Amino acid sequence: MYELDMLMRGFQTLLTQPLALLLCVVGVIVGIVIGALPGLTATMGVAILLPFTFGLDPLSGLLMICGVFFGGVYGGSITAILLKIPGTPAAAATAMDGYELTKKGQAGIALGTATCSSFLGGTLSVFVLIFLAPLLASFALEFSASESFALAVFGLSIIASISGKSVTKGLIAGFLGLLIATVGLDPMGGFPRYTGGYTELFNVPFIPVMIGLFAAAEAFKSMEDPAVRNSLGTTLGRIIPPWATYRRMLPTVGRSSVLGIIIGIIPGAGADIAAFVAYNEAKRFSKTPDNYGKGELAGVAACESGANGCTGGALLTMLTLGIPGDAVTAVMLGALTLQGLQPGPLLFREHADLVFTLFAGMLVCYVLMLVLGLASLRVMGRILQMPKSVLTPVILALCIVGTYALNNSMFDVGIMLAAGIIGYFMQKWDFPASPVVLALIMGPMAEANFRRALSLSGGSYDFLYNRPITVCLLAVAIVTLLLPLVRRLWRKPGVPATDGGTDNAALASDPAGNGE
Amino acid sequence: MSHAPTGRDSAAGDASGISRADRIANLIIAAIVMVVAVAAIVATADFPATSLAADVGPARFPILYAGALIVLCGILIVHTLRKPAARPEPARPATGRGAGRINVALGIGATALCLVAISYIGFAIATALYLSGIMGLMGQRGKLLNPLIAVVATAIIYVTFSTGLQVPLPVGSLFE
Repeated sequence: MYELDMLMRGFQTLLTQPLALLLCVVGVIVGIVIGALPGLTATMGVAILLPFTFGLDPLSGLLMICGVFFGGVYGGSITAILLKIPGTPAAAATAMDGYELTKKGQAGIALGTATCSSFLGGTLSVFVLIFLAPLLASFALEFSASESFALAVFGLSIIASISGKSVTKGLIAGFLGLLIATVGLDPMGGFPRYTGGYTELFNVPFIPVMIGLFAAAEAFKSMEDPAVRNSLGTTLGRIIPPWATYRRMLPTVGRSSVLGIIIGIIPGAGADIAAFVAYNEAKRFSKTPDNYGKGELAGVAACESGANGCTGGALLTMLTLGIPGDAVTAVMLGALTLQGLQPGPLLFREHADLVFTLFAGMLVCYVLMLVLGLASLRVMGRILQMPKSVLTPVILALCIVGTYALNNSMFDVGIMLAAGIIGYFMQKWDFPASPVVLALIMGPMAEANFRRALSLSGGSYDFLYNRPITVCLLAVAIVTLLLPLVRRLWRKPGVPATDGGTDNAALASDPAGNGE
Repeated sequence: MSHAPTGRDSAAGDASGISRADRIANLIIAAIVMVVAVAAIVATADFPATSLAADVGPARFPILYAGALIVLCGILIVHTLRKPAARPEPARPATGRGAGRINVALGIGATALCLVAISYIGFAIATALYLSGIMGLMGQRGKLLNPLIAVVATAIIYVTFSTGLQVPLPVGSLFE
């Protein structure tokens, strides 16, 4: 098989390049650190390291960037699980169940599951990139504005299933997020909406809002209860999940990885969307969906494998078509061009040796991510042993500096604080924050693509029902939106939902909660 | 974030009763969100009409979202008003609850003060003072230990972001 032979040759070439391997390690470490810090995303990490690649050979430079990319997507999960600070937007989905597991004293197993799932999702996506790139590249071309709009609607329909106890409150939070998402420049005409003259509001500041709603709100909450204030932290516990536990989650991981790959291939859709979609599908396929949001290990596995599955998908369109799937691959596209390489079908023909050595290096990056990730978790986990009275102020300081680092703007920090205060009251009165974040991610995508599709179709709404992918996605969106409502109506009054999520006993029996 | 149930109401979710405090909170929140939604719709009057014949214009989506919010808040109000009153819970000590609220208010106030102070005295000094203050607020009492932990934590954050990640942290207008 041509691809396999070339991959083996790629590994042989890579072994003769110690600098490239060393830079893989550097890239992965930098990526994990950047991903774990609030406000700093993989995009920023790649942009920071880009100038360092100018003097390097193409392989070493590109592998270092890949290391940052992969490590950055994974790193966000660490602080999301330990501290409920989503280091990256994708980790906002991981925080939903990850932090609940930490509160139950299962932080170690949640982190271990996140690491293993990130590795599996990412590795699978690289294999798909190697073996199915030309085949799947054509799929990306099927996606025009109407399909992207339908994907965004599908993403938004997830709000119903992550609404917690009250769908009404979840929908209110979601539509509030959608309304906030309209702040900024109108996607078609460029008219500033609800900006009050502030240029800082020309783009929706969704990362400050996310940090405020999740991390700052949680920190404010921990100031309220004296028992929490004075408590010592918990320990990390076991890290690597028992095989019997993880084995049951493998179907979820596999399904989420495939979803991540498909979403990664779609231009404009990134790891954040993949994580939420994977979470929703894991919940839908689960036999105990009520455990999701209360500390379900399979929820963590789904988000992480989905987010990391996105990496190979995003690279696929960038390498084969020259279309960057997200912001990180857009920066990588620049790096490739600077190295004198032109992405597209000819890249695979004219620089096949380099491309397959790069693929081999990507697989090495993921192995390094697994090893370095698992090795660093004990050190990271020491955070939990800090007294809450020290940890909470440090979290707040990290929220401030992380938000500031986004645009070097104190205005953003002010937004973060406002979101933190609102998030605190939302928590207090059972309004979920996740729908707001999801709406901020999907809202601009939905509006921009709907209006683009409408313009392309000359003002006709035909595009909603005469394009197969659009119809399928919209149909799935309707089912996703209505399913939780039907379930609630179907459930007998007075029969409470299964409570508690993955407790210790359940961990031994069916942690995936899916019975698969 | 979908939080673990706290035992409060879920206005549209279950059949259990609702406490007086939760009922008032739901009604106030729904009213505030409705006001925001109406204000958003009113503000769209200033949005220009689109120049593209096939475009719906910049006002359509905000109006759609705000309209949905008004309907949903209406549903929340109806559900809240129709719910039976919950049996009164055993009284919690009012002093503990009050002290907790005061702590949160002080914490939020200190954070706001820190943001203002950063502009004048810079990130390093403001953050060290802020950390020390919040630690004291959260019950960490140590005249020497608090400032020490605060300075060390600030130094680590400063070095990581300023030196490691090349983020130009504010030095403060007083020191520029």
